[in-house]
Amino acid sequence: MSSVWKFFSSVKLAIVLLILLAAASVVGTLIPQGLPPAAYAARYGQLAGLFSALQLTGVYHSGWYLALMFFFALNTVVCTITRLPAKWRRAFSPKVETEASGLQALKVRSRFGKNAPAAEVQARLEALLAARRYRVRSQAGEKRVSLLARKRKFGHFGSDTVHLGLLVIICGGIVSGLAGFRTELDLAEGQTAQVPRAPFSIRLDKFETEYYPQGMVKAWKSTVTVLEGGAGVLTRTVQVNKPLSYKGFNFYQTSYGSNWDNPKLEITVKKKSDAAFARTVQLSVGERAAVDDKDVTHISVKRFVPDFVIGEGNQIESRSEEPNNPAAQVEGWKGEEKVFSGWIFANYPDFEQMHSGKPTDLSFTLKSFHGSEFSVLEAAKDPGVGLIWIGCLLVTAGFFLAFYWTPREIKAVLEEGRERTEVTAGGLASKNREGFQAEFDDIMNSLRRSS
Amino acid sequence: MTETTLFTIAFVLYILAAFFYLAVAFTKKESWAKPGLGLAFTGLVLHTAALLLRTFQSGHAPFTNMYESLSFLAWAVVLAYIIIDRKSRIPRIGSYVMLIVVGLVALASSPLMPKEATPLVPALQSYWLWLHVSVTLLGEAFFAVAFVTSFLYLRADTEEKKEKFDSVSYRCVAVGFPLFTLGGLIFGMVWAYKAWGTYWSWDPKEVWSLITWLVFALYLHTRIVMGWKGRRSAIIAIVGFLAALFTYFGVNYLLAGLHSYA
Repeated sequence: MSSVWKFFSSVKLAIVLLILLAAASVVGTLIPQGLPPAAYAARYGQLAGLFSALQLTGVYHSGWYLALMFFFALNTVVCTITRLPAKWRRAFSPKVETEASGLQALKVRSRFGKNAPAAEVQARLEALLAARRYRVRSQAGEKRVSLLARKRKFGHFGSDTVHLGLLVIICGGIVSGLAGFRTELDLAEGQTAQVPRAPFSIRLDKFETEYYPQGMVKAWKSTVTVLEGGAGVLTRTVQVNKPLSYKGFNFYQTSYGSNWDNPKLEITVKKKSDAAFARTVQLSVGERAAVDDKDVTHISVKRFVPDFVIGEGNQIESRSEEPNNPAAQVEGWKGEEKVFSGWIFANYPDFEQMHSGKPTDLSFTLKSFHGSEFSVLEAAKDPGVGLIWIGCLLVTAGFFLAFYWTPREIKAVLEEGRERTEVTAGGLASKNREGFQAEFDDIMNSLRRSS
Repeated sequence: MTETTLFTIAFVLYILAAFFYLAVAFTKKESWAKPGLGLAFTGLVLHTAALLLRTFQSGHAPFTNMYESLSFLAWAVVLAYIIIDRKSRIPRIGSYVMLIVVGLVALASSPLMPKEATPLVPALQSYWLWLHVSVTLLGEAFFAVAFVTSFLYLRADTEEKKEKFDSVSYRCVAVGFPLFTLGGLIFGMVWAYKAWGTYWSWDPKEVWSLITWLVFALYLHTRIVMGWKGRRSAIIAIVGFLAALFTYFGVNYLLAGLHSYA
């Protein structure tokens, strides 16, 4: 047991772990994470199998990375605990009595005589120290008094506070990983979704996109109502950076999309023989729209796909739900006679002319297409987040203590001689020694000059 | 005066400051350092005015694209140097720091960087933009000064110089590391939680911030607990700065991720 403890109390282990964690983290950014196996096979060939066996395709969630983290946490705990008792004693039950010879070995030191009784010198020195916020303890011996003055003693615990904060953050991460969950809700206006694992549901009342005058998106705004037992209890607008919090759940505006089941289309009909002729009609899939011309009385749309592709077996399908290659299957009618039938493409307005079945004077273009928009809200519950913020506060406080609240310690021995008191003083500070030296000199000079 | 004019004058002043500091390095006349510092300081004042003007005109924090962010980083490096110089008074540090500043400003001014202020995309509309980016870049600016002093340490010939560079390096890390932790990691986590719904998502920029953090944690532990000083400390500080640089630059151009703004 003691040898295990000794192993984990070693700072060398901490250094090895820091290096290993850094190296492992680098690897995880060089190999793309979390892609499907086929993507790795295409990219790395033979190596792909090795990568997946070593879990290099998901480094940060792999057993060995978590094990490194675990050892790092354990090492931090053991190192901190091992060093704590000595620091504690130094901070809270220090030895007051001291020897003049010991003080003279310090870098910051002073020695002089004063023509006044020891009690008087002690009172003055204590007043000077107190004015600089030192807490003074004294211990009287025979013909001599030892003084111990200290300030900022909590600075001793700066690194411990940082370590504690890191452990709390790691615990928060574990809680988040085990108990947290998130899910995406696709909501069209007016639609209600039951929030998984929650005693309430959420309804999207309104979804709007605001634009800057330059045309860039300014905001996505989802106005939502929280429903409990069918009754609305709260209505809020959710935006990026402005989530809604309700009963431990948060709702984030993460994305939006268009539903292409029943888009609104605008189609323009032109004639090659008559450049002046152009009619634009609005219609949905399955509808007929009148053009009112002798050559083409009306048109209809049989089908619409947002991302046209010819798949296996020459089937026309949509590669995705993104409008990457929107296409409509259009039919032109002259009375009951079909005069045109073919696919037209929003991105390739000239395409149908080349591929139209029979030659025709008519030309069709897909001028615009609008699916019904839906909002994507992420519902998340993360019980670990409180620990994360506590840990962050501890880390910040710890840094402040460690770097800017360095303990200072001044020790003095007053030895009473005949009509004269011999003062020997020395000081210790682990950081900002120049500042400490100046303060120490100031105190000692004031004492020397005082009458 | 327009923002561009102010920025250009600041650029010229930084170049002149770099010349004066280099003159110290080559002629060994310390007296050139004072005008160098004066020029750098005047440049900083004008640069501050340029950043403020841009903020008022665009209505948002001046670090939402690469031009703005480089300009702000250069500003932060000058500020960090002036703060450090108040205590250290080593003009040689100034010569290399000002070269870095001139490099950053030149890069910001290059035609590769689109300069027009664009309206904020929804993801960046948050006061955390101010807190997260400014504090992180300020921390990285101190890492840059630590990089210079560590580099100078490795090239120094006398023990006295070495000790001075070593202690200035440490002081820079002692300021930069808490700032980087607070701004880069903690404020970053808070903002990520507000904007994306998760405080940590192993995005490459997050991971590289963590790597940078681990390297400087290594710096402090080897130094304070194991008593490593000097050469090995200097090398770790240099590696740390390079990691910070990669976090800032490399991730944007080489690795894809959520941080696709600047």
